[in-house]
Amino acid sequence: MAISFKQIEDKLKTEAKGLLETGKVSLVLAYGKGYDEKHPMPYVARRPSDADNIVFNEFCTHNMARYMVRYPAGTKMAVAVKAADSRAVIQLIQEEKVKREDLVLLGIPAYGMKNPKTGETIDSKTTCGLYNPVLYDVLLGEEVHGQPVVSPYDVLAQYEAMDKEARFAFWKKELDKCIRCYACRKACPMCYCDPCFIDQNKPKWGEKSPESAGNLMYHLTRFHHLAGRCIDCGECSRACPVNIPLYLFHKKVAKDCEDMFGQAAGMSVEDKPVLVNFRVDDSDKILE
Amino acid sequence: MLKKTAINKATELAAALMEKGTLIAPVKEDAGFNFREISDAKQVDLNFHNTIISPKSAFFPQTEDFVRYQTGKSILEATPVELNIKPAFLFGVRPCDVKSFEIMDIHFSGTGLVDPYWQKRREATTVFGYAFDLDKPAEAEEFYQTLGIGAADPEGSDIFMVKKDNDLLMKAITPRGEKLLTGLNIPSEASADDEKYFDDTVAAGRNFKTRSTCVDARATAKKFEDLFHNTDFWEKMSHACLSCGACTFVCPTCYCFDICDETLFSRGTRRRVWDACMFTDFTLEASGHNPRTKVYQRLRQKVCHKYSYHVRKYGVISCVGCGRCTRYCPVNIDIFSIVEEAVKA
Repeated sequence: MAISFKQIEDKLKTEAKGLLETGKVSLVLAYGKGYDEKHPMPYVARRPSDADNIVFNEFCTHNMARYMVRYPAGTKMAVAVKAADSRAVIQLIQEEKVKREDLVLLGIPAYGMKNPKTGETIDSKTTCGLYNPVLYDVLLGEEVHGQPVVSPYDVLAQYEAMDKEARFAFWKKELDKCIRCYACRKACPMCYCDPCFIDQNKPKWGEKSPESAGNLMYHLTRFHHLAGRCIDCGECSRACPVNIPLYLFHKKVAKDCEDMFGQAAGMSVEDKPVLVNFRVDDSDKILE
Repeated sequence: MLKKTAINKATELAAALMEKGTLIAPVKEDAGFNFREISDAKQVDLNFHNTIISPKSAFFPQTEDFVRYQTGKSILEATPVELNIKPAFLFGVRPCDVKSFEIMDIHFSGTGLVDPYWQKRREATTVFGYAFDLDKPAEAEEFYQTLGIGAADPEGSDIFMVKKDNDLLMKAITPRGEKLLTGLNIPSEASADDEKYFDDTVAAGRNFKTRSTCVDARATAKKFEDLFHNTDFWEKMSHACLSCGACTFVCPTCYCFDICDETLFSRGTRRRVWDACMFTDFTLEASGHNPRTKVYQRLRQKVCHKYSYHVRKYGVISCVGCGRCTRYCPVNIDIFSIVEEAVKA
């Protein structure tokens, strides 16, 4: 069964309009028109009439959970969430950045989303590969069943076959491309630190210029700060203007975390963030 | 003077230029094309639409070292970094990007305050402009024609190149270009047919459509001035903006930089590094006060600087319509759509 993007768009509009009319939420985080059909944009509807501007198609890849922390605590908002996006919401609830009761989650079951920059279909290679939102209040469409279930970690096979030296050489080559525009961190729903360590200058943790030392410092710290928190939406890699496969490192860390602690990020509001929670039976593998 | 060479002989042309100086040309990389200093003539690849990063980096690199020093030692022992500039050839620059050099000249040398780094590189560099391929429609992101720049404008280039089937027509535009082209023994003389083709392409380039709306610089500048305090408008324009620096780093006319001291163990370098008005800490003052804490304030600054303040101060829009900021924006913000919205508002 193919996804009817038009049907999702219609339902999104109707829900948004209803929620804004009744005053149940003060804003709806969804998608709006961009400069052409292939380039829709994140959109904030504040008035019921704004709901007419909402769009949804296969190019609406952005993770709207990213925008939640921009509004004051306690803001009632509805958020359009695809599978990975809902995991980001769960993770942000776990981290107490937003409260479940302030949110109305408009769940979008989807597959076959396309990268607006390349036109490529987005799958488990660069994302968590789930089709249905993990948490939602309203589901805008039917749950997806019967699509191939592919582990988001399959793509790591080639990377894991490399030894330490080869991995370091791989990342050095990739990270040398970085121009330090910080699109990755700004697109990331979990990068809400203010200020980010790399922007601090007293003490200064890393250099500002786009050279090996500073690039490694920035990316390796960010990768590890997202350990057990990255929900694998792939936004960082899609945001990158120079195509650094950031998702690979995040997936590797997520996989190790899952192996060691038996918990994937953003799967249940009942969970505690894995690196915050201490259990006596926790793996000691991290210390080896 | 008009000369002609087969495009598949571009490698020989590149090699000839490399004998005379540093060659900077489009190179195909993982993510797309970029201008790079060429070490092997075979790297030069003219089969590109435009580069990710603009060619401004040839004159204004992202990192520029000024002074080297040792921590714990007297400042008197610090050594300025010598500007070692050799003749250079910037090869294959699209007309809108050539236009950007003229705008950047205003800031780096035109106001009386001369930046020697920019100016000396500009003086040492011969620019080879390269017409867009008029057989293909302009990309949705581009709007250079809308800003009055043709797809095949030779102005600003020393030598201008036009593709004709499998040949590259090269015309000298400035005396510097004339001298270089005369001395290059690779291209053959062009025929009268080629002359006509070159002139026709330049003329066709002027009418090569990008976006439909045309922009009146003065009226737009005034409009943005009136809209400055319209917070609703700017919040609407910026609710998708992530406040990253992708747009400014790929832009050919963004010139903001930071000067910082970077040390590794005891070896330090004072250098300038590109900065971006979209960054939260761009306006952070030593006191801790930040006059632009909101995303809309930063986006407003970027758009108004290019389309309003720059027009008022220097008479020209500081944008050449290359479309890079739109193309590489992670959330598809399009600066020209903001201009259109402002005109309508």
